[in-house]
Amino acid sequence: MSPAPLKRHLLSSGATLVGVGDATEALSADILHLKRAVAIALNRGLNRQTVTLLAGLQREAEEWLKKRGFRFLSIPPDSDRRGGKFISRLYELFSHKTAATCSGLGWVGKSGLIINELYGPRLSWATVLTDAPLSPDPPITSSRCGQCDLCVKYCPSGAISGRNWSRREPFAEFVSYEKCRALKGRRACFEEKPNCGLCINICPYARLDIWKGALPP
Amino acid sequence: MASEERKKEILEALRHGVIQYDEDSVKEAAQAALDEGIDPNEAIFDGLVSGMEEVGRLFEAQEYFVPELLMSADALYVGLDILKPHVQKMDLGVKGSVVIGTVEGDVHDIGKNIVKMMFDVAGFTVYDLGRDVPLDKFIEEQIKTDSDLVCLSAMMTTTMVGMQKIIETLKAKNPNVKIMIGGAPVSKEIAEKWGADGYAPDASNALKEAINMVSALKKLREESQAKSSPASPSK
Repeated sequence: MSPAPLKRHLLSSGATLVGVGDATEALSADILHLKRAVAIALNRGLNRQTVTLLAGLQREAEEWLKKRGFRFLSIPPDSDRRGGKFISRLYELFSHKTAATCSGLGWVGKSGLIINELYGPRLSWATVLTDAPLSPDPPITSSRCGQCDLCVKYCPSGAISGRNWSRREPFAEFVSYEKCRALKGRRACFEEKPNCGLCINICPYARLDIWKGALPP
Repeated sequence: MASEERKKEILEALRHGVIQYDEDSVKEAAQAALDEGIDPNEAIFDGLVSGMEEVGRLFEAQEYFVPELLMSADALYVGLDILKPHVQKMDLGVKGSVVIGTVEGDVHDIGKNIVKMMFDVAGFTVYDLGRDVPLDKFIEEQIKTDSDLVCLSAMMTTTMVGMQKIIETLKAKNPNVKIMIGGAPVSKEIAEKWGADGYAPDASNALKEAINMVSALKKLREESQAKSSPASPSK
């Protein structure tokens, strides 16, 4: 089954990127039938509007699948997880990182963030798992950060270890989240923000558009 | 007041909304039920709960899986949130209190929460012990609250053994207490073998079982009171 109509629908509704991944290897017992992960990404600063738009896109995907008689499980954007719902117990079962990598939209950078070749780590993610037999996109199975270690060098809390991700080592630690969080406690100016975000700003993949503009055509 | 036909339509919309785990349409139908003067009790039991029963059937038939079951429970909850504040004294004929919890070592308490919700709606006082409840706590709480009903739930076979122990201890301390067990691996045969009074494979059955059991218990107490002190007026 071609994923093109679903992708077109989501892209025309405002999604920046849409990918379909083969999630088979990453599924736990309760959701074994949901073999495809639809990864939806939005290239916007993290603010309330982004979350609303992303949640809306997720609903669009759900409705598209439901109308065609398929089952689904939505893993909402990280900043839109309302507790107290029965379904929220299942959110831990699947991560946006797995959806993004298995659908070929990105890899896990040294910073622990999903890096996309065009948009770097500046994307917000939502995932819809489904039993619709959509043909999957080719996955990305290892890091494309190469020798670049800007985020490692610039991280003010020294939290980034600098190792390269590979799907073969799913439990490796790239970032010490304890160190990352500790910085937030020390600097009052981060109070309103989840973290300092330097690893997002410094990533050269996020700046390719700037560089491209600087280059002669 | 809505016509019979309109009422049927709204109840069906509630039922369908739960089955289709469609929170928006449940919300809409529940609001319509209130606006058009349909008895909230009826909306809950003939609409929402009836839908949940069908979801249970679909789950057993393996047409629905855990995600659908949970999304339907969420849709049910959306409806309850709207209807519950308007429920007037539920006329179920019986009232009671219940101690509920999942047994030591068991963290799968989703089923328990659904059962709890239904007890709550039916007007029971619910003492929720939560999950991973040590065995003794059930007994302690039953004595403390003088509950008519103790509801144990386990979803994994390894915790089932623990339930037998509680049943025996509770029965030894108070032979009149009614005990209900539920959870995925518990069968009616096991419930009977251990001496439990009710077996609840799912939430809506648990409710019916509970009402039956409490009503039977009250009768039993009234009878024994009448026998032991025929002169004193009944409470």
